[in-house]
Amino acid sequence: MENEAMSLYELNSLVRRGLHACLPDEYWIQAELSDVRSNYSGHCYMEFVQKNPKSNALIAKARGVIWSNVFMRLRPYFERETGQAFVSGIKVMVKVTVDFHELYGFSLTVVDIDPAYTIGDLARRRKEILKKLDEEGILTMNKELEMPEPLQRIAVISSATAAGYGDFCNQLHGNKFGFVFYTKLFPAIMQGDRVEESVISALERIYAECDNWDVVVIIRGGGATSDLSGFDTYDLAAHCAQFPLPVITGIGHERDDTVIDMVSHTRVKTPTAAAEYIIGRMLETAGRLEDLSERIRSEIPVRLNAEADRISRLVARVPLVVQTRIQRENMRCERNCSRLQMAWQKRFIREEHQLELLPRLVMLATSRMEKEKHRLELVDRILKSASPEHLLKRGYSITLYNGRAVRDTLMLKPGDEVETVLATGKFKSIVK
Amino acid sequence: MAAKKETYTEAMKKLEAIVAKIEGGELDIDQLGDNLKEAQKLIKFCKDKLYKADEEIRKMLDDSQGGEE
Repeated sequence: MENEAMSLYELNSLVRRGLHACLPDEYWIQAELSDVRSNYSGHCYMEFVQKNPKSNALIAKARGVIWSNVFMRLRPYFERETGQAFVSGIKVMVKVTVDFHELYGFSLTVVDIDPAYTIGDLARRRKEILKKLDEEGILTMNKELEMPEPLQRIAVISSATAAGYGDFCNQLHGNKFGFVFYTKLFPAIMQGDRVEESVISALERIYAECDNWDVVVIIRGGGATSDLSGFDTYDLAAHCAQFPLPVITGIGHERDDTVIDMVSHTRVKTPTAAAEYIIGRMLETAGRLEDLSERIRSEIPVRLNAEADRISRLVARVPLVVQTRIQRENMRCERNCSRLQMAWQKRFIREEHQLELLPRLVMLATSRMEKEKHRLELVDRILKSASPEHLLKRGYSITLYNGRAVRDTLMLKPGDEVETVLATGKFKSIVK
Repeated sequence: MAAKKETYTEAMKKLEAIVAKIEGGELDIDQLGDNLKEAQKLIKFCKDKLYKADEEIRKMLDDSQGGEE
């Protein structure tokens, strides 16, 4: 029996020959592209998938390849015609040959493409989901949340066994800046049909203790993108979009973009990139703090110097004030002196003038006195000539009655004795 | 927890306000000294949050429900 057993290679060779014999032609097929990647040699590798339209579960899958000489021609043609890149998630109609290789197994080799059949089920479904979320007004809700500061307490949704989760934790806790992070895993199934309900369940557990966390990180290792279909559902996207904490996704590679990526707050490519993003946010937080403390550090000497300058200026101003005051006082003094001098001069001139007048006054006085003397002599002469003695000498006489001069005869009656006074001598007589 | 988070934000707000006052030249020398002391306290508080593990938080998160399926 042993001699009759075939080697694996022999069996695989039989399969190859059988396939070629049964399926010798080129066939047009409709399938969705997944995990499209091209290598340095220019060959393009992918997976063709077909899903159950209702459950979204995979029902068929085949490896595919487009050799570089064909790909170089097909790709520009396809992209020009469709206006869309040749990437995962689109539905295509391609002409293939069916191949089998003893080592690499079953694959389809693309020889032609029909660009008219382009928008794939996945892309259309995503678009529909996004449209629905948009119409409900929740599409950008998570993006509008503010990322807390500091970003330290991280609820992780991932598979405990996934390499991605380990990478994420190592990257985060081993950060070279010494930031402290608090992480906790909320395990979930990250591939296959149960992704949606499992991730939603993890989100609900986090929601129950929402205040304990700053952010939710949904991460997953690499792998074929055909495994990511669970992240392209409406319910998960709606949960994620409306989650009260910011959600960071790192569930695939660059070429994959799921609906959950589109509604999450921040989308990165890998778990490691998610950790780098969080560390980067913390660096910004620390940078802001450092900036503030640096601004204080640099501002204090400036302020102190400014105060010192102010004091110096004040000190410099003190003598200046004093000097100005002294000058002002000096000027005042000089002004007063000159005013005094002028007043004295004026007074002196007046006094001098008065001194010059004195001799003239003496002369005037002398002349006046002479005049008065003459006048007195004249009066004296007049008085002398009018005196009774002088009149008696000229022959006049005075008759007295009882000692009084008789000026009227009525003063006398017969028989009165009167006395007559002459210049020399006197006599008495009786009135008749 | 939420209160602690707010405290960090509050501390940063206070710090920013102090820096603005210092840079705006609003403080005299006496006030400058007081504000500087306050700023130093706030900076230390914030740095501790970023660089020093808080065992209280760690314990609380470890004890929280829902970590395991």
